[in-house]
Amino acid sequence: MGAWALVGGWLRPQASVGKASPEQDVEILNFLLVLEEAQAAFYDAALRSGALGGDLLAFARTVAPHEREHVEFLRGKLGGRADAKPKLGFGRATSDANRFQAAAIDLEEATAAAYIGQGANLTREAVVDAARIVAVEARHAAWIRDLAGADPAPRAADPPRSAEDVLSELRQKGFLR
Amino acid sequence: MTDRPILTLEQIDRDEALLEAVAALHGNTRADFLRTAALGSGALLAALATPASAAAADRLTDVEILNFGLRFERLQATFYSEADSVGTVGKMAAPKQRWAEVLGAHERAHVRIIKKILGDKAGKRPFFDYHGVTESEDGFTRTAVAMEDLTVALLAGVTPQVHDRKLTAALFGLLTTEARHAAWARNIVKTTPAARAFDEPQSLDNVRAAVASTRFIVARPRMTRRHRGPRFTG
Repeated sequence: MGAWALVGGWLRPQASVGKASPEQDVEILNFLLVLEEAQAAFYDAALRSGALGGDLLAFARTVAPHEREHVEFLRGKLGGRADAKPKLGFGRATSDANRFQAAAIDLEEATAAAYIGQGANLTREAVVDAARIVAVEARHAAWIRDLAGADPAPRAADPPRSAEDVLSELRQKGFLR
Repeated sequence: MTDRPILTLEQIDRDEALLEAVAALHGNTRADFLRTAALGSGALLAALATPASAAAADRLTDVEILNFGLRFERLQATFYSEADSVGTVGKMAAPKQRWAEVLGAHERAHVRIIKKILGDKAGKRPFFDYHGVTESEDGFTRTAVAMEDLTVALLAGVTPQVHDRKLTAALFGLLTTEARHAAWARNIVKTTPAARAFDEPQSLDNVRAAVASTRFIVARPRMTRRHRGPRFTG
């Protein structure tokens, strides 16, 4: 892919966004909180299921507390303006190793792309926090892809995804009710 | 084949102060891994143990930040290209070969991307001398792990500092790719790919000092050695 195609993807203005503001940060952080809640709940369910062993179990045991920390961190930032915990469900996604791998990749990829998608919309203060978290989500994505035999870093630059796109994927998969 | 002995962090850090600092921040596994790291990578990783001065980049323009990013991406791109051209990559096991090739291709793409954004404001390509670390699998691997982790810290540090908001999103896309590289590299050397819930940022000044201490960037082109292939541009 040529450099211009990549740069062009980033520089394309996003339709639904206004100027960065603390009010807008609250909306965005609440959206990111949904994704962190979903990941935390998913890994907790997977650990409870007893379906994981070996490298996958080590992965889930390491990553689950990270996601819980992200939830706590975002809730702390939002204070009284944090939304209630969303209704989540993972059905058979945690019932065996293959389904777990596939769902973990989807969740980690969606979350990393969602943070990238909000990069231009957050205030500078919020970007400081988002940068510290999105790097860890990308590490998780690469790790689980490596364990699943998929390419850990499939592109030279990761593209953004919109909030609508990511939320509709989670709803369509039944993770978000 | 190395043409001079590779200094290790253990040799320069005799009272283990640096290793203790690394252990405090990143855990003992990391410190043990570093103990025998080649000096170049040791210096890069020691930078991760230095607290960042977050405000330091405020006075920098976007062009200055991007030009430093370009310099750092070139340092990485040339590093992977050289390891390939001297045959180190070709001798590694297939999965590791693929890892090295993908990372090299990505870093070269990052150089092209940042050059494109900078246009005629892009700085000149510096000269590099990796002091033999590209010539052994061990030296190459350790330095790669250190470089990737340091790039993550650099990008996490400078991304909030850029003034143009569209660039913030662009740099996030590079930051996540570098984080993937770092995680992949760490999985290859059997250390945890994601050691903490948050990646700690580094200031541009600290990273600049770390890069300077490796002496990987030099004032003049290195003298040609017999066994070397053509020079690569990054």
